[in-house]
Amino acid sequence: MSQEKVPYFEIKGVSKRFGATQALDDVYLSLYPGEIHALLGENGAGKSTLIKTMTGIHQPDSGGLLVEGKSISISNSAEAQAHGIAAIYQEPLVFPDLNIAENIFISHRNRGAFMNWGKLYKDAEAVLQRLDVAMDVRAQARGLPLAAQQTVEIAKAISMNVRVLIMDEPTASLSAHEVEQLFRIIFNLKKEGVAILFISHRMDEVFSIADRITVFRDGQFISSNLATEITPEQAIRDMVGREMGEIFTKEPSEKGQPIISVRDLSLQGTYHNMNFDVHAGEVLGFAGLVGSGRTNVALALFGIDPADSGKILLDGQPVEITSPKHAIDLGIAYVPEDRRQHGLILELPIVENISLPMLDKYASSMGLVEETKETRTAEDYRQKFSIRTPSVNLHAGKLSGGNQQKVVLSKWLNTNPRLLILDEPTRGIDVGAKEEVHRLISDLAQEGIAILMISSDLPEVLAMSDRVLVMREGRQMGIFSREEADQETIMTAAMGRVKLPEGDI
Amino acid sequence: MSRWLRIQQVREISLLIIFGLILLFFGTQITNYFSARTFNRISGVVALITVVAVGQTLVVLTRNVDLSVGSIVGFTAYFLGRQLSLFDDMNPYLAVSLAMAVGAGFGLINGLLVSYGRVPSIVVTLGTLALYRGFLVEYSGSTSIATRDLPDWIKELPRVNLFTIGDIEMRVLPFIAVIVVIIFQLILTYTAFGRRLYAVGSSPEAAKMAGIPSARLVTIAFIISGALAGLGGFIYLARIGTITVVAAQGLELQVIAAVVVGGVNIFGGSGTILGALLGAVLIGTIEQSLIRMRINEFWKDASLGIFILIAVTTDAVLLNRLREWWAKIRQRNQHSEKTKNTVEV
Repeated sequence: MSQEKVPYFEIKGVSKRFGATQALDDVYLSLYPGEIHALLGENGAGKSTLIKTMTGIHQPDSGGLLVEGKSISISNSAEAQAHGIAAIYQEPLVFPDLNIAENIFISHRNRGAFMNWGKLYKDAEAVLQRLDVAMDVRAQARGLPLAAQQTVEIAKAISMNVRVLIMDEPTASLSAHEVEQLFRIIFNLKKEGVAILFISHRMDEVFSIADRITVFRDGQFISSNLATEITPEQAIRDMVGREMGEIFTKEPSEKGQPIISVRDLSLQGTYHNMNFDVHAGEVLGFAGLVGSGRTNVALALFGIDPADSGKILLDGQPVEITSPKHAIDLGIAYVPEDRRQHGLILELPIVENISLPMLDKYASSMGLVEETKETRTAEDYRQKFSIRTPSVNLHAGKLSGGNQQKVVLSKWLNTNPRLLILDEPTRGIDVGAKEEVHRLISDLAQEGIAILMISSDLPEVLAMSDRVLVMREGRQMGIFSREEADQETIMTAAMGRVKLPEGDI
Repeated sequence: MSRWLRIQQVREISLLIIFGLILLFFGTQITNYFSARTFNRISGVVALITVVAVGQTLVVLTRNVDLSVGSIVGFTAYFLGRQLSLFDDMNPYLAVSLAMAVGAGFGLINGLLVSYGRVPSIVVTLGTLALYRGFLVEYSGSTSIATRDLPDWIKELPRVNLFTIGDIEMRVLPFIAVIVVIIFQLILTYTAFGRRLYAVGSSPEAAKMAGIPSARLVTIAFIISGALAGLGGFIYLARIGTITVVAAQGLELQVIAAVVVGGVNIFGGSGTILGALLGAVLIGTIEQSLIRMRINEFWKDASLGIFILIAVTTDAVLLNRLREWWAKIRQRNQHSEKTKNTVEV
């Protein structure tokens, strides 16, 4: 039915580049009034950049935005509002200190310089009534449940005569009941002729409400179909259909005894009933979407954010890991995702970064740090990992991403870990350095270290893991053996189209 | 749970209670404490702190701070004193406007550096605190303004009585402060500008998304703070008369203390002008009363400091408790409403 209609908003051939990353590469999107348009894509497919382009936060490098066929430019959120474009994020942006009515009308320019509180409350109630919800509009927004905050955001949007409503994973943190309410609101808006761009990782939701489905991959437009013309399987294939290319594949290593065993590990509201072993000499890949709880599990193993129920066994002995110091003493090392913030102290030289967790080892009897010993260690690692630097006394901040990552790895290997947790080990580093890091991981596994590797890079997970554990929304969806795992099975599990494998823990 | 009684009011009521206790305490310590003389003495000091604290409140609401107000008060007091000694037939209203204009100019510099130069306000105003004081040293050539150089009207101003309630006289300077408080409390409650100041401080990110011109609002807040510090300079000149290069040095600390004790969140987004007034009244009362008790300078400052710490920390603890309790009740209410709704459906 929508073919003969004119799109309200169009994106034509938009590209956007950030440094070395091509975030959007010649993408197209058309939003029709009264249509729910779902946008699918893996992490890093360019969805967020697209939203930010539509709301005036980013300017496209090339290509155009059209409203009712007329070319426009949007340079800030006020201009986006003027075109009737509003966005609602997973984490709603409400003003905690203002009351609900004020939050709804905060962006209105036409309400005069003076507040008419009585009218404000009445108008706010009228808007909420359109959404068919009841709230105390005089209450402060602070402490409102997430779903209620979202409702406020939607009320804000429709109070401004919204024509395009962008919803970025609006259901990610809602309960089933709240999702139902949200969908009721969405259908009301659809009836009023609002064009809705709906972004979600939940395939069942997408296929139950969307009229049209567009898929992006690596910043590129892949496909756009009516929901009736595409199957979930095809959509997933479109999302992951990346060529494996020339990627280094882990060399076989000898699988030993389980180093760490996790049994029914749960953290209220974050992850539930995790069950897995990591064996000596094995790489266990952790796949799943961002926010599925992978990092939280790692943080529990490293004692930063302990779980609240379940067991962790080290060499079969139950342990309670209460602090990173404790974890290091037990032989666990964690290489965090954000190496510039958590992995390294950029202002310190390479040497001091490497010796930092084990400073006691370098202390003389007087308690002073023995620099020669420190330097020797750093030089060893520089050679072993071929860290490219003129000197180990150079500030870590001066190195390239790949070399920085090698320094982080040196730092943690120097703690003599038996279990090494890697969180996105190759994010943001170039292809050459990536292969070096992969080779290194492979070598470490051959040395008998147990490795848990969290990665959103599917080809990397497949090439480097002996087994792959998939998480979705805090739940363990299954563990796949190297033979069973391919891009589609993993993505299917990560997005909740369950096709459970047999694999052991 | 009445919708009219909110956390902010609870806090203002608790300040009033504390104020009552403090008055009782000093009443037992100082003979003849409850007298018109005490009131006049304290109200003069409170007037100065209040006027400057009102401007500071606007700035703090936006998640900024203005440390330069003491220097602005000092400079404008000296500047106006010099002008009045040169042109002693200057119209009083023109004199006040002149002081406020100079202050607003200083505020504009602060505001531009903070919102367009993107330098944190604590750094900017720490710099201008020294800079504006430097201007005063340069401008005065280290000479002072003496009371006898000033025209009679300003010398007599602190004693001009507007009206009398019982045996308490309402004099001009405290009255100016009351007017300023009323005007700005109304602005914060009833204008879009006022509400947007809260919005900017409450969530800068959401403010950006909502298309609120944060930079302009922050600049205006600093300009107002500067202008009110200029008005403070006028009050200072009228009250003290003798102006040296150290005039109003350290006043910014009393002002910020008043704002914080008055419940304005130092991280922005919440607080009222009435709260700041109560804070100023408390700080002024304690300071003046301690002076009357002839406590030595060191103990005076130390007791003031201890009081501020107690007020702010108990407040944080107390308010958080209240807030949790409030949220629980709200949730329970909402829950019961929800079940009600489903029953209806």
